[in-house]
Amino acid sequence: MVWHPPWSVESSVPLRLRLLRWGLLAFFPTIIWSGLRPNASAAEPSAAGEGLKATTADGDSNLTNLLGSWIWTDKTLDRQTCQFWREFEIPKAAQVTHARLVMTVDNEFTFFLDGRELGRGAEWRELFDYDITPLMSAGRHVLAVKAYNSSSFAGMVFGLRILLGGEKLIEVKSDRSWRIVPEEAKGWEKKATASKTWSEATVIAPFGSAPWQEVPVRINLMPTLQPIKVLFWQTGWFQLTLLSVSGVVILISLRLLAQLALHRKEQWLLRQERARIARDIHDDIGSRITQLVLHGEVMQSERPADAQTRLQLDRICEEARGVLSTMDEILWAVNPKRDTFEDFASFVCGYAEEFLKPTGILCLFDADPAVSDVVLNLPVKRALLMVIKEALNNAVKHSAATEVVLKIKWQSQKLMMVISDNGKGFDQSSARPCRNGLANMAQRVGELGGTCVICSAPGKGCRIEFSIPLKQTGRSAWTWLARFLKQFRLPRNQAAKLRPGETAEAHDPTR
Amino acid sequence: MTQPVSKAKNVAATERSALSPNKPLRIGLVEDRPEARESWARLINSFPDFACICSCVSGEEAVRVMPQEQPDVILMDIFLPRMSGIECTARLKALLPRVQIVILTAMDDKELVFLALEAGADGYLLKRTKPSDLRKALLEVLDGGVPMSSQIARLVIESFRRKSDTRDESARLSLREEQILHLLSQGYSNKMIADKLQLSVDTVCTHLKHVFNKLHVNSRTEAAIRYMATKAP
Repeated sequence: MVWHPPWSVESSVPLRLRLLRWGLLAFFPTIIWSGLRPNASAAEPSAAGEGLKATTADGDSNLTNLLGSWIWTDKTLDRQTCQFWREFEIPKAAQVTHARLVMTVDNEFTFFLDGRELGRGAEWRELFDYDITPLMSAGRHVLAVKAYNSSSFAGMVFGLRILLGGEKLIEVKSDRSWRIVPEEAKGWEKKATASKTWSEATVIAPFGSAPWQEVPVRINLMPTLQPIKVLFWQTGWFQLTLLSVSGVVILISLRLLAQLALHRKEQWLLRQERARIARDIHDDIGSRITQLVLHGEVMQSERPADAQTRLQLDRICEEARGVLSTMDEILWAVNPKRDTFEDFASFVCGYAEEFLKPTGILCLFDADPAVSDVVLNLPVKRALLMVIKEALNNAVKHSAATEVVLKIKWQSQKLMMVISDNGKGFDQSSARPCRNGLANMAQRVGELGGTCVICSAPGKGCRIEFSIPLKQTGRSAWTWLARFLKQFRLPRNQAAKLRPGETAEAHDPTR
Repeated sequence: MTQPVSKAKNVAATERSALSPNKPLRIGLVEDRPEARESWARLINSFPDFACICSCVSGEEAVRVMPQEQPDVILMDIFLPRMSGIECTARLKALLPRVQIVILTAMDDKELVFLALEAGADGYLLKRTKPSDLRKALLEVLDGGVPMSSQIARLVIESFRRKSDTRDESARLSLREEQILHLLSQGYSNKMIADKLQLSVDTVCTHLKHVFNKLHVNSRTEAAIRYMATKAP
């Protein structure tokens, strides 16, 4: 936080103009004095000194009392930088009523208090008068001046007067107590203690003596300096904490993102793998067993054989057909393209129809037509299918029903299924659950976090009710957004054609 | 799988029975696997009233050959390399509107089958169907039966619902048709529907036939558009 005071070196042009005006007002001697340095010894402390008296804040116009001597290092060189350092202490209980600092350097200076740059000056003929009362708090303070000599004589004159309550006074003047800091030192203006290697300053001449024997041309009254108010979010520790907290948050988010991406990838890979398995089963095993059935049928139709061989062949074909229909189920379950609730309802209805057809039991469906696009994952799909198969099997075996009603609904984030028949029913208290697979069913549903309710009484049929809570995953907001956008991108009749699975290249069930 | 329509007989079937009652039915076959192709041909030829007159390896060949051979029924494998069975069906139906196309599928996937039905197929068969059932199914298709199950009915309703806002009035389902389809999708048989709605079974079947005609008309135009779209650079 470098603070440039408005009177800094850059604004030298207006300063010179002002100087010229002051010079004219201060009559010839002043001009001569300023023009004849260093040997113009006869000049008088005239108008500038008078003006000074009127403007000093504490009423003490005696600059000789306030200021110390001209000090520099033991050697004076052209184009030399000299760094002065000094510390002082204000007692703890003391109340600072006023603090005035007056200084100048031949030729330029930058002045620091406690490491903060307070001012700059580049005119040895003038004094710079700072009111630093608000900056003076109890405790140690560090004064630092970076001075520069462009040519010939060099020196710094400095005076700080701090008035404390109870008529006490602290004075810091330019004298031998100042330390000279070597040029290569870093951060020296902030250092609280002096290094042993820092040498003492050398007094060149007392204030008011040659080569600077006269009072200054003018005294520049600087605006009162206020302490920099550091708000809590500007403090280092706060920024550091904020930075580290943000860092931690970013790291956690990145980790979560990575996990999410990994999970997505895993899901994608799983789907790919399922699609591959489905394709393999379909393309290889499926077509081979189909071929097996065909071979058997061709043989049966072309070779008139004895009854025994015919029966055997028939059995082989039947067995192979059984394998194929089981495979259909596996393919359906594995195929990631048939993962929605809609697909599930459709498949279950188809299955029930096929299963009940030979038994003569009428199967009625009440599948919710407004089925959602909820994606059922493989274990859920499989478990639900097993449960339904079990229930239908029970109905066929034990109920002697003429009608089975299958209801599938999507209700408040839950998959509801009801399988009811009009059969003879059973007494629930006497039924052995292990035998008719009711326990098995309840267990499967329980594993998915669902509930299974079985209601039956003799002569009143049987009603099995499942409800499984499912999360709506995958096709949530993005799907809606995509659909929404698609409506705008294409004319409506074109959009209807682009529904999944209907494009010309999508006729493979798994691709 | 198919439900016969006794009154609304297919034109090809009537012509066939009127002109040459003893002439075997001419079957065309499209199947890319050589073994399966041979087996199917032998199986078909083993029926006295059926004859496999040509078998094609690919959809492209079928589109080239079938118009000359003029079969009564084409058995079409659903998975063919390059041009799929579904696309081939759509294009053959455009070339030969009278020919009956039956889709053969190894997998019992109604969604897939429905795509073929939409493209203009008149029926579908699982490849593992028993020869006796195969024969029955083929005759039913020739008789103008429509392949309908509760699942297919649901897909038909769905299909019309999707198109309802973009199509003209003639391509929409009538109230009665929708009613019948809805009952079908709930698992009721044609007879039960007829009882419920106080119609004759024949009327129910006629309605279903109309539904399929509408479905085909819609889809064929769509398939043609899609085909042209793929040709465009």
